[in-house]
Amino acid sequence: MDSVVSMENGGLKGSSKEVRPGKTAHSMSSSSLRKKSSARLVSRVRCELLRNVLTNLQEVILGTKLAILFPAILLAIAAHFYNFGRAWVFGLSLLGLAPLAERVSFLTEQIAYYTGPTVGGLLNATCGNVTELIIAVLALSQNKIDVVKYSLLGSILSNLLLVLGTSLLCGGLANLHKEQKFDRKQADVNCFLLLLGLFCHILPLLFKMAAKSGEISTLPTLSISRAGSIVMLVAYVAYLVFQLWTHRQMFETKEDSDDDDAVEEEVPVIGFWSGFAWLAGMTVVIALLSEYIVGSIEAASDSWGLSVSFISIILLPIVGNAAEHAGAIIFAFKNKLDISLGVALGSATQISMFVVPLCVIVAWIMGIQMDLDFNTIETGCLALSIILTAFTLQDGTSHYMKGIVLLLCYVVIGACFIFIRTPSNEANILNVAKTSTNSQMLGL
Amino acid sequence: MGSNEVWNLENGITNGSSHEPRLVKTAHSLSSSSLRRKSELAIGLDDVRPLLLKRILINFQEVILGTKICPLFLAIPFAIVAQSYGFGRPWIFVLSLLGLAPLAERVSFLTECKRFAVGGLLNATCGNATELIIAIFALYQRKIDVVKYSLLGSILSNLLLVLGTSLLCGGLANLSKEQRFDRNSADVNVLLLSLGVLCHALPLLSQQSGNAGTSADSSILLLSRASSIVLLVAYMTYLFFQLKTHRQLFESQEDDENDEDEKAVVGFGSSFAWLVGMTVVIALLSEYIVGTIEDASITWGIPVSFLSIILLPIVGNAAEHAGAIIFAFKNKLDISLGVALGSATQISIFVVPLCVVVGWILQVDMDLSLSTLETGSLTISVVIVAFALQDGSSHYMKGAVLLFAYIVISVCFLVLQSPTNLGNLNGSGYESSVGFSAA
Repeated sequence: MDSVVSMENGGLKGSSKEVRPGKTAHSMSSSSLRKKSSARLVSRVRCELLRNVLTNLQEVILGTKLAILFPAILLAIAAHFYNFGRAWVFGLSLLGLAPLAERVSFLTEQIAYYTGPTVGGLLNATCGNVTELIIAVLALSQNKIDVVKYSLLGSILSNLLLVLGTSLLCGGLANLHKEQKFDRKQADVNCFLLLLGLFCHILPLLFKMAAKSGEISTLPTLSISRAGSIVMLVAYVAYLVFQLWTHRQMFETKEDSDDDDAVEEEVPVIGFWSGFAWLAGMTVVIALLSEYIVGSIEAASDSWGLSVSFISIILLPIVGNAAEHAGAIIFAFKNKLDISLGVALGSATQISMFVVPLCVIVAWIMGIQMDLDFNTIETGCLALSIILTAFTLQDGTSHYMKGIVLLLCYVVIGACFIFIRTPSNEANILNVAKTSTNSQMLGL
Repeated sequence: MGSNEVWNLENGITNGSSHEPRLVKTAHSLSSSSLRRKSELAIGLDDVRPLLLKRILINFQEVILGTKICPLFLAIPFAIVAQSYGFGRPWIFVLSLLGLAPLAERVSFLTECKRFAVGGLLNATCGNATELIIAIFALYQRKIDVVKYSLLGSILSNLLLVLGTSLLCGGLANLSKEQRFDRNSADVNVLLLSLGVLCHALPLLSQQSGNAGTSADSSILLLSRASSIVLLVAYMTYLFFQLKTHRQLFESQEDDENDEDEKAVVGFGSSFAWLVGMTVVIALLSEYIVGTIEDASITWGIPVSFLSIILLPIVGNAAEHAGAIIFAFKNKLDISLGVALGSATQISIFVVPLCVVVGWILQVDMDLSLSTLETGSLTISVVIVAFALQDGSSHYMKGAVLLFAYIVISVCFLVLQSPTNLGNLNGSGYESSVGFSAA
C-alpha cells in the first residue's frame, strides 16, 4: 500500500530500470523554467490523502516560475461573466494562456516517462503546440479563417525569427570569446521540410496570379490546397519516423558531465493517471480561454487600434510561445545551441507541416473552405524568413550578428503589419477574400 | 589477311594489343549499362554456316535483344498498324509512348559505342535524343505549348522524380551507412540550372512589370533569342569544362566489379547504321505522339499540360530512371546524381535554347516564356534541389521531400484548366490571346 502510494507520487528511486527517454530539445528547454517543489510545508499536513493531493497540486500548479500568471485565468473568467470590457477579457485570457501552455508541456513530459521514448517523443511532438491547435480549431468553427491563417503564420514567423534571433543574440553576447557551433544536420532537415511547406503555400498563390493575368480560367485553389495538405501530413509522418526511429541519433542532445542541472534525478514527479487527468483539465481550460480570445479579438482590435492581423501574427504567438522562448534563450546562454535550435526550428516545422494541414483537413470535414493561400505579403514574408533562416544556419556556427539580423527582420515584419494592414484597409482585404471565396463556391 | 582483320575489328573482336584509349565511363554509360544483358553469342548461332548471316544475326541480337525492356519493342509495329488502320487515336498515343522507351535506351547504348570516334560530346548530345526529336516535331507542327511543356516536364522529372526516388531508395537501402557524394559536380550543375531559370523568369517578370501593348511580344521574342544564344555558349563552356579541363570532377570512381568487358560489341559502321535507323523510328513515333496528344487528352479528360509535363518525360526517362535507382541502392550516389542532374542541365541549357534557335530558323515564334505557374514551379524546384544537395550527404528524408514536391506539382497540372487546354488545340497560333477569367 505504501509502495503504491509512493510510486503514485513519483517516489521512484533509481532502482527502477525504466528506459530513460532521450532528452529532446523541448523537454530540456522547458525544464529550465521549473522549480523544485519544497516538500516541507506539505509534510506538516497529517492526513495522508490530503497530503498526496496537496503535493500533486503544488507540483503541478506551483512548479513553474510563471505560476504568478495563473490568477489571470480566474480574472478572465470573471471579466467574461460580469461583462467587463471585451478588451480586458482578451488581455487577461492572453496572460492566462502562458502558464497553461508551459504546464501542458511539463505534463506531456511526465507522461512520456511512463510511455517510453518513442511514444513520448510522439506525444511531445503532437502536444507541443496544443495551444496553437486549439485556437486554430476554435477560430475555424467560428468561421474566422483569417484569424486561423494569421495566427499559424505568426507562430512560424515567431519561432523562426523571434525565438531563434533572440537566442542567437543572447548566446552570442554571452559567449563572445568562445566559438559557437551546432550540428547542421538537424537544422538542415527542418529547413528542408519548411521549404516543402513553403512550396505548398506558394502554389495557390501562383494560381491566383495566373488567373489574374488570364492564363487560366478556373481557380482550383481549394483542391490544390487539400491535396497539398495531405502531402504535407504524409511528409510529417515521414519526419516523425525519421526523427524518432531511424535517425534518432541526429536529434538526441548530447549530455556533458560538467552540467549539474542534468545530474538531477529525472524521475517523474506525478503519477501517470494524475498526469493524464491534469492534462485533460488543462486542455479544457485552454479551450475556454481560447474561445474568449477568438470571440473578443475584433473588439480588442477596435479598442486598441491595432489590426486583427497584427494581433494574430505578432501578439498571440508571443504569448503562446513564451515558455519555449525563455527556455531557448537560457540554453543559448549556456552555449548549448543545439537545444535552442531544436526548440525553435522543431516548433516551426511542426506548425508548418502538421498544424496547418490539419486545419485544412478539419475545415474540409467541417465544410469550411480554408485553403493554403495566405495573401501575397504574408507568403512573401514567410518565404523570405525561411530562406534567411536557412542561409543563416547553413554553416554550422553562430555569432550575435546573426541573431540581431533575424530579430530586426522580425521587427520589420511587425512594423509592416502595424502600418500596412490598418483596421480600415484590412476590412477591404477581408471583403475581397470573402467575395473570391463566394465566386469559388459558384465556380466549383 | 586483310579482310579477316577488318571483319574482326568491325565485329569488335579486338585483342588487348590494340591501343585504343579506354574511354572514361561517364555516369550515363554506367547507369544505362545496368539495363543490359550480356548477349549469349553462342546460342544457336554456331550452326549458321554463312559468315555474313552469322554476323548479321549477332549484330541483331546484340542491338535488339540486348536490353531487359526489349519486350516493349513489339509496341512499335502495333503503333504503326494502329496508325495505318485508323484505330482510336489514344491507342496510337499509348503504343507510341511504350515503343519510345526501349528505343531511347538503345540509342544511348549505340552512342556509347560510337564514343571511340568523337568522345563524350556525342554521348552528351545524344543522351536526350528523344526529347530533342519530339520537340522539333512539335515545333514543325507549330505546337509551341507542347514543346515548352514537354521540355519543362523533362527538367522537373529529372530534378525531382528521378533524383527523389534515387535518394529515397538509396537512403532506405543504406539506413546504417553514411551516404556522401561529391559536391563539386552537383554545384556546377545547380549553377547552370539557375542560369536557365533566370532566362525563363526574365520574360515573365518583364510582362508582370506592366509592359502592355503588342510590342511586348516581339521584345520578349528578341530577349528569348538572345538568351538562347547565351545559353548555348554556356553549354559549350560546360562541355569544355566537363570533358577537358576538369575531367576529374566528373569521372566516376571505378571499382573492379564494374570492369566488365566494355569493348565495343557492335562495330562502328553497323552502329552508325543502327543509330540512323533508330532515329528514323523515333521520329516516326514522335510524329504520332505529337499528332495524337490532343485527342488523347480529350478522350481521357486529362489536360494536355499534364500529359506533356508528367506522362511524356516519365516514359522518355524510364531507362535512366531505373539505372539511377539501381546505383543509389549500391550507395554510388555520384552516378545517380550525375545522371539526374546532368540530364536536367542538358535539357535546360542545350535542348531548350536549341529549340528556340530552330524555331527562329523555321520562322516559328518560340520563346522562353513559360506561364506563371510553370516558372514558379521550376524556380522552387531548383531552389529545393540546391538546398538538398548543398551539404554533400544524403538520407531518405531528402528523397522523400523531393518526391512529395513532384507529387504536388503533378496534382497542380492535373487540375489546371487553361484556355489553351479547352479551346482551340490545333496549334494555329491561338495560344494565350484568349484571356477570359472566372466570374
